[in-house]
Amino acid sequence: MAEPLIKLENIWKIYQLGKVNLEILRGIDLEIAPGNFVVLLGPSGSGKSTLLNIIGLLDVPTKGKVLLEGQDTSLLSEDELAHIRGKKIGFIFQQFNLLPNLNALENVMIPMLFQGAPEKERRERSEFLLSSVGLKERMSHRPFELSGGEQQRIAIARSFANNPDVIVADEPTGNLDSTTGQKIMEILMNLHEKENKTMIVVTHDPGIAEYSEQIVHIKDGQIASNHLAAGHVLWKKVNK
Amino acid sequence: MRSWLTILGIIIGVFLITSLLSLSEGLKASVMQQLRGIGTDIVMIMPGDISDIITTLIGGTKLTEKDIEAIKKTKGVEVVLPMPYKGEVVKYQNSSKTVILYGLDLKYGLSVYQEDMSMKVTEGRYPTAGQRELLVGASVPKDVFPGLKIGTQATIKGRKFEIVGILKSLGSKQDDSMIALDLNIFKSVTGEKEAGEAVAKIANGFSPDEVAKNIKANLIETSKRQRGEESAKFSVLTNEAMSSMVGSIMGVIQAAVIAFASIAVIVGGIGIMNTMYTSVRERTREIGILKAVGAKRSTITLIFLMESGIIGLVGGVGGTILGLGLAKLIEAVAQVHPVFHITASISPSLIIASLGFSFLVGCLSGFFPARNAASLKPVDALHYE
Repeated sequence: MAEPLIKLENIWKIYQLGKVNLEILRGIDLEIAPGNFVVLLGPSGSGKSTLLNIIGLLDVPTKGKVLLEGQDTSLLSEDELAHIRGKKIGFIFQQFNLLPNLNALENVMIPMLFQGAPEKERRERSEFLLSSVGLKERMSHRPFELSGGEQQRIAIARSFANNPDVIVADEPTGNLDSTTGQKIMEILMNLHEKENKTMIVVTHDPGIAEYSEQIVHIKDGQIASNHLAAGHVLWKKVNK
Repeated sequence: MRSWLTILGIIIGVFLITSLLSLSEGLKASVMQQLRGIGTDIVMIMPGDISDIITTLIGGTKLTEKDIEAIKKTKGVEVVLPMPYKGEVVKYQNSSKTVILYGLDLKYGLSVYQEDMSMKVTEGRYPTAGQRELLVGASVPKDVFPGLKIGTQATIKGRKFEIVGILKSLGSKQDDSMIALDLNIFKSVTGEKEAGEAVAKIANGFSPDEVAKNIKANLIETSKRQRGEESAKFSVLTNEAMSSMVGSIMGVIQAAVIAFASIAVIVGGIGIMNTMYTSVRERTREIGILKAVGAKRSTITLIFLMESGIIGLVGGVGGTILGLGLAKLIEAVAQVHPVFHITASISPSLIIASLGFSFLVGCLSGFFPARNAASLKPVDALHYE
């Protein structure tokens, strides 16, 4: 196996609620290889979303290290983390999280703006990405004028804007009906295959798990099982 | 909607600053210009204590003919000219207006008026002593009696006068709207024997300060002897003293105006701060999104600072426009009414200063809310409901 893109070493996340320590994550060790499609499965409250936030550098662990391409992210400042998030990680959320005052095109352009890309490049790349998720005709629409599926497609386009190494998705189909959810997954898979991006998806939808190459079960803040090989087998089966 | 209310707060403050400052600056400029027209060897004599300037301006006391005599006798005084004035209805053709009439001592003072007080004629000539002739201020043919011409006649209290000259502008609308006539005729027409003030020209070789002191002493002695008044007070001011006094009075007025209006702007600033805190709270999720897709602390800070700065600036623009508008309106109203004249001074520095000030107040008010926004943790901000 090649050098892992992301390596988690003994990750703990502990919240203090008054005098009680709430242990959300309890010593997670995980390696994710470049180009993998990883699904984090687990019941609600298992800590999978917290783990995803830590992988996505949105949150910091109480204890333990997150290595991204071998770099220890715990040594980085908040602004450096923001820069890495913008450049190397793309986010897709259950709530879509689009900026309501911007239209589809502007929403996709925003991450590139923070990386200092020139206007022309931003526009061209955003137009290309929106066309590839089938929203060519909707570019000047604002989020509230669009359906949930369409909004999530904008979010997908946005997550690819800076050509990141990893796409992190937290329940991407959780707010969508099953048909739309399936379409969204197809778009994601399509981009995953075409651009060969590492994808990490949190879900409790077993349907999505079928697409995956690696299934990590989280239970009570620990990894219950990590089916790397089984995932591959399953993946090949689906494709045949 | 909330932003507009916030902007309104700034508008009111800036509106106060610009309108009051432009009017007081205009007042100062016109008074100073008048003073510059007066020679340095001229002293002004006014009844009353100058520190009690309100009483003096309202015109409680006046200089009597005896007082004038006392001034005349003072050593070093070359000539003394009483400056009596009174508002009278002047009828010219079909219009009648109340105009300030001045009595001029044409026999002794002609050269002092022309040379030392810059009262020069642009058209026509000075009236001849003892003749019913009028010299009108520069604005009279324009604003008071439009189309007034030399050689025509005006009526004051049923007597006909010939207009013989038009004065060069003296710098203030009030002075330019007056009509002057021979002192003795003035006295008989208006019945006014006393003067609100007098000017004296100092003879060569005497120090104005010294002579001013002597005039004062003489006046006090005279009034004691003649009227038995113990507390008679007179102010005798050299040109230099007048300038510095006007400057300091106007300075105090402007400082007070700035202080009060600044309080209004600061209150507006607190309004901006409140709005910005609310805005940060409402947009917590958006801040989280921006941070997730790579916005740095400084970017978030800048976004909110610019927003609050722009609120301040928009308020500043509105306030400046309204304030200068009001100042111009007051000026226009005052022009129609010739007794009360005031000009609005609209200088670029006033506009730039009030815009800059409001932008600054906006930025300062937005500073803490912006810092709050910037220091939100991305994961907390994203999950804020």
